Amino acid sequence: MRNLLGLKAIPEIEYHRPAELSEALKLLAELKQNYKIVAGGTDLVPAARRGGVLFPEQGHTIDISGIKELAYIIEDSGMVRIGAMTRVSDIGESAVVKKHVPILAEAADQLGSLQIRNLGTIGGNLCNASPAADTAPPLLVLDTRVNVKNIDGQRSVPLTEFFTGPGQTILTPSEILTEIQVPIPEANAGLCFVKLGRRNAFTLSVVSVATLVRLKDGTFDDVRIALGAVAPTPIRASKGEEYLTGKQTSEQTLDKGAKIVAGEVKPISDVRAGEDYRRDMSYILTKRAINLSVQRARG
Amino acid sequence: MKVPVETRVNNKPYKLEVEPRFTLLEILRDELKIKSVHRGCENGECGACTVLLNGKPVCSCLVLAPQVDGAKITTVEGLLKDGELHPLMMAFVENHAIQCGYCTPGVIMTAYYLLNNLTEFTDEEIRKGIEGNLCRCTGYVHIVKAIKAAKESKDSGNWW
Amino acid sequence: MKQREKRLAAGNGFYVDDIQLPNMAHCIFVGSPYAHAKIKRIDASQALTVAGVLAVITGKEVVELMDPLPATSNYAAIGWHWRTPKAYPIAADKVRYQGEPVAVVVAEHLYIARDAAELIDIEYEPLPALSDLNEAMQSGSPLVYEEWGDNIQVHLDFNFGDVAAAFKEADRVIPVSWHEGRVSGFPIESRGCIASYDKTTEMLNMWSSTQAPFLGSQYISSALRLPRSKVRIVVADVGGAFGNKLNWWKDTVVGLASIITGRPVKWLETKREFFLTGAHNRDVTWDGEVAVKNDGTILGIKATFLKDLGVEGTNRGSGAMGMVPACCSIANAYQLKGAKIEAYGVVTNKAPYCAYRGYGKDKGVKFMERIVQALSRELDMAPEQIRLKNFIQPDQFPYKQISGYVYDSGNYPAVLRKALELGEVESWRKKQKEAWKEGKYIGVGMAFSVEPAGVAAPHCIYSGLTQARVSVTSDGVVEVESDQTEIGQGSDITRAKVVANVLGVKLDDIEVKRDTSDMPGSGVYSSRGAIYPTGAMIRAARELRARMIRFAGHFLDEDPAHVDIADSIFHSTRNPDKKMTLKELADSVYFRPGPRGLPHDMQAKHEVLLDVSASWFSPNTTQNPTSTYTTYCSGADIAVVEVDVETGAVSILKYAHVHDAGTLLDKDVVEGQIFGGIVQGIGEALSEELVYTRSGELLSNSYTDYVMPTAVDSPDIVIGHVETLSPFTELGQKGMGEAPIIASKAAVINAIEDALSPFKIRIPESPATKERVRKWILESQGG
Repeated sequence: MRNLLGLKAIPEIEYHRPAELSEALKLLAELKQNYKIVAGGTDLVPAARRGGVLFPEQGHTIDISGIKELAYIIEDSGMVRIGAMTRVSDIGESAVVKKHVPILAEAADQLGSLQIRNLGTIGGNLCNASPAADTAPPLLVLDTRVNVKNIDGQRSVPLTEFFTGPGQTILTPSEILTEIQVPIPEANAGLCFVKLGRRNAFTLSVVSVATLVRLKDGTFDDVRIALGAVAPTPIRASKGEEYLTGKQTSEQTLDKGAKIVAGEVKPISDVRAGEDYRRDMSYILTKRAINLSVQRARG
Repeated sequence: MKVPVETRVNNKPYKLEVEPRFTLLEILRDELKIKSVHRGCENGECGACTVLLNGKPVCSCLVLAPQVDGAKITTVEGLLKDGELHPLMMAFVENHAIQCGYCTPGVIMTAYYLLNNLTEFTDEEIRKGIEGNLCRCTGYVHIVKAIKAAKESKDSGNWW
Repeated sequence: MKQREKRLAAGNGFYVDDIQLPNMAHCIFVGSPYAHAKIKRIDASQALTVAGVLAVITGKEVVELMDPLPATSNYAAIGWHWRTPKAYPIAADKVRYQGEPVAVVVAEHLYIARDAAELIDIEYEPLPALSDLNEAMQSGSPLVYEEWGDNIQVHLDFNFGDVAAAFKEADRVIPVSWHEGRVSGFPIESRGCIASYDKTTEMLNMWSSTQAPFLGSQYISSALRLPRSKVRIVVADVGGAFGNKLNWWKDTVVGLASIITGRPVKWLETKREFFLTGAHNRDVTWDGEVAVKNDGTILGIKATFLKDLGVEGTNRGSGAMGMVPACCSIANAYQLKGAKIEAYGVVTNKAPYCAYRGYGKDKGVKFMERIVQALSRELDMAPEQIRLKNFIQPDQFPYKQISGYVYDSGNYPAVLRKALELGEVESWRKKQKEAWKEGKYIGVGMAFSVEPAGVAAPHCIYSGLTQARVSVTSDGVVEVESDQTEIGQGSDITRAKVVANVLGVKLDDIEVKRDTSDMPGSGVYSSRGAIYPTGAMIRAARELRARMIRFAGHFLDEDPAHVDIADSIFHSTRNPDKKMTLKELADSVYFRPGPRGLPHDMQAKHEVLLDVSASWFSPNTTQNPTSTYTTYCSGADIAVVEVDVETGAVSILKYAHVHDAGTLLDKDVVEGQIFGGIVQGIGEALSEELVYTRSGELLSNSYTDYVMPTAVDSPDIVIGHVETLSPFTELGQKGMGEAPIIASKAAVINAIEDALSPFKIRIPESPATKERVRKWILESQGG
């Protein structure tokens, strides 16, 4: 039976380290479900040691960290395209990201610690699909799409449809996330990212919020609100967004909108925080984030 | 199964056959006897096992051994010059930044990276840079002092 | 100079995990998933078939081959309500906390042991678990030890001074209560040791990450039925301890593993194992009332004190004993008339309770400092005024506290005033008023701590033993052996300095030897290093110096009264040409000419070696038997915080600490201890907590969920010093190291409360997490 006390040994694994994506896709097709993908290892290795991730019988591990063609950040036709294997630290330091999608750089900078950021990948952060994944809220407010490939071809999925549950995504066996595509928002879109944890650095999000606001004549023309760690997946607060759209950017509407967001989140209580606090912070942080977004939108 | 790995550790080339389930921490400590890399939590939460992987600080306990094929790894042993302490190490010694010493090699590797890469060198940037290195003994005060003293050393040309 | 630090900077450590012995095997502990359960069946046969597994030790073998774990303290001997369970390091029939070891697997390689552990087949019958102290105290609750009939391990009644008179005089009686969450140190290096049993010499040699090798060898030999002299422990480099490595119950099994397998066996605890089976502390509740006069005089206290000892606090560590200093320290720095405390140490299905920096005296002090905060509001008096009014005054020392402790010396008003200045309290209070107008919440908090140090207690293993040996080798190196174990606190530096100063020898000529169990001394805890071991070293060094001067005079043909030594050179004070080096002296004494060439009277007394051993015992405790501690240093902390009332987040804007530990032996070492202790205290105040579910599952079992401060969470700290010498130590120095973790926690909590004064919140417990702070604010608003 599982030894609670110590660490599990990572089991003996059949290990593959494809150098090219095509090689990886072939392997995925052959192995069907009998594999785990490792990129940075920052989620997988601790989980394996804890017994939180079980390798399948004669488990295969496909290490994609050697696939150089999957690590890139490109500005291309009004989009920022990021390869799934791009390390979180590179995203945080990228001039392209800082210029065009600053909230993604901010979120990347607050993910884990420097050591974790240098290993962890954006693909891993999304595919691990923790409800608290830090890169998710910024990407969710930006009409992000992701490319998913298998040996037969590829499909493009809006990120809003990517997460299906805690630790679960729409990826079917033999599929791999290859690229994240972020349309570059126009200069006067007001963006904000706020993260709250139990301490002020190197911490899991207890609640995180990203917002995007477009104004027109003092009203909310377009409002996007995404939250992490308050639902089974990172979410868009569609009810709050709906309420605010078209309304005046006043203190009262903002307050009411944030309260609606607090009503639509589905947080749980765990050792990190209670559901009441998470709901309350959804309200507080949404208010703050939208406020900042409005200020930034006004320029 | 064993996987061949070619890597450079502290400027020395190695050709190894590794079990893929072992981590870089275990290869460095247990096989290569590089004992500066410490077992703290083996979970990526404390930074005691920090090494430079292709110049960047990582938790070696999270890196699967085969992943360092073709990579360059640096530990504190690699910062010594014929046994002489690196100016960064001397700054730690002189500023009483070492108490029990268990977090020290990890902090030094992170600090080495920061000193070579940080553009802004405020207290805030330093503290943020070492957020992934937990220390229970020093309260971080002397560590920050030592890193700033090392910056002065570097700026005056006493560095490698 | 700083050889240890240089070695460690280069990564050249001698930690347990660095030590390689030929033919060494590894062992791991296997723990129970249940907090409370009967072990119906344990079958290791599958595990034993794995290639490379050398042994699997279960409770069955342990009960056969070992004696029960000795009690580290036993006050039943003097009629106290004090129970000690029959405890073994591996559970045989019942497990009593989640993670309690049920087996140890010994194998050639760590991974083999880990893999084999999964194959051990164990059948448990879960029992109702007790995770709540109040529940455990009720009659009819499940019993941790059936044979006890209830869950009260310890029940003590303290009556200090005249509490009835105190309450009679009172203008007001104010209810006060305070709870501290369960916390501990969890240094970056977990516990670990290597045991190597040699059949021929019947010696069990061990290398251990421990604070007290002599006490460890005593404990381990007792459990393993070996003579004490057959267990020798060498202290490895220790990667942090803080009291958490003042226990050896798991090391006993590593020793047993070596005896059974005939191989050296290494054990390094995993972090999760450390959390689950480690030395837990705090988890105490005070509830009572304080009698005061309207002018701010604190007259007396009546309170109950409840402590959650987990599975027990006597055998696996000395947690229960801490209840005594907890209650005795309550008067802190103040002149109380009386205190009455009824104290209960209750067992539950949680990890064992052992020592953590502060140990016990921290708890009474923190309660009192929270009381002062409450009084400041009740009486509308500045908190520093209440302290200044009630302080023991400088001219009252030595001061016999109502607890019986005799405080050696102090200047509390000077320390507090200096802290108020260093902390810029006046200026911050102005900023606070402005801030409140703008809807921002800044708070100024303070705390004062007297820290009793250097314990010598009866009926326990912390009896006040020390021995030091100072000698000169034949090639002129001064060797120092003592029980002031180096655990990272800088003991090597201070030992060398102290001895160098007494002897007149250069620091570079001093070699502090690696600590072992050879010195019959209690080790380092209770901040005793600067007191007992230092006292012994000074006595030994003084005698050695006198002897060396005698010999030098003889060789230099000079009256010893006119011989001095400085920088390792003996010289005549009236003829500078007459001199010799330490090396030359050593050579002369040992060999050329050797004892034949020494003064006749020294030969006749057989004092022909440069080698002196000495002990030391506290004059304070000798003269005042009720003063279990020798010296009483003091500290004042000022914390300025800003509270984000919408999120509950607390930022520290300013932190100042003034310290009085008598003669400072080494400023860097002392300040290092202060910085470290303060940040630990801040961690306890804001985020650290060991959280158990109702069914006894420990949720905070890693550094992710046991939230300690990073460099970003830690403030810059300014320190000031006052030096009020102790009359009871050789140099006037006092033990220090724990005051910083005590007052800091109280100061930060007091600061948060101060910031939130407009909300009229009384903070009931620590940690004041963001979630809790927000909750208290909402509750105060009727939300």
